[in-house]
Amino acid sequence: MAEPGLFSEAEARFLRALNDEGVEFLIVGLSAAALQGAPAVTQDIDLWFRDLTDPGIKKALRRVGGVYVAPTGSTPPMFVGSAVALFDVVVSMHGLESFAKEAARAVTVVLEGVRVKLLPLERIIVSKQATNRPKDRAILPVLEDAARTIRTRRRKR
Amino acid sequence: MKLDDEAIRRRCAARGVALSRVLSEAGVSRTAYYSLRRRQSVLPKTVLKLASVLEAPASELLDESNSEEKRARRRVNTAKRIAGESHGTSFENVWHTLALLDEPPSERLNRALRRGRAGTL
Repeated sequence: MAEPGLFSEAEARFLRALNDEGVEFLIVGLSAAALQGAPAVTQDIDLWFRDLTDPGIKKALRRVGGVYVAPTGSTPPMFVGSAVALFDVVVSMHGLESFAKEAARAVTVVLEGVRVKLLPLERIIVSKQATNRPKDRAILPVLEDAARTIRTRRRKR
Repeated sequence: MKLDDEAIRRRCAARGVALSRVLSEAGVSRTAYYSLRRRQSVLPKTVLKLASVLEAPASELLDESNSEEKRARRRVNTAKRIAGESHGTSFENVWHTLALLDEPPSERLNRALRRGRAGTL
């Protein structure tokens, strides 16, 4: 049985369903940084959608037994259900350009057989610099060192 | 396992003999040696002949690049080099990144999630 709180087949099914429904999204934040090799720590997988009203999102959620909870004045939009508990919906990204521009330079990885697009590490750094909360400032040196390492390794190959 | 060309040349240098002489004494032609160097596996007979001429343990002439220890050592050296190239870069961050780059993306993500969860307990 899959360890709870970790990315497994259930979460992969949701990402696959989003792709099947043609929903445009990016994995952003520290989960995207970790996927690219940064030694980051996170509790969730942040998803940034081109259009949160895309009906494909609800269809994908239904396929894995999840539901969409619309935002209220005090709560952000949320996905509810065991297969989607790891995912957080990101409404806006500080310091970045439009979704379309950021998606055009996305990095693609295959995650449990599902092709997903990630915000590149360099852009995650820009976003963290712009957000500038204490926790963002704390992780920046780790992300910058990881980006330098990845660039160096790429150059050597 | 592959022939470790570097180790063989080091042994030659330590004994003060040319590689060509070692090959000739071992009955291995130069062409055969260069071809063997590129192969992923070599016949034990060839390694034993070279080891006997060089008076070295056969294991020393093999590239165990798949062994965990060698990989870790290589990673440490790479991390030292990268950290040394840029002031303020943390060896630890570089080392962890290099280790994660050897893992598939799902494992990288799950490590981050595991540590995140441990941090909240």
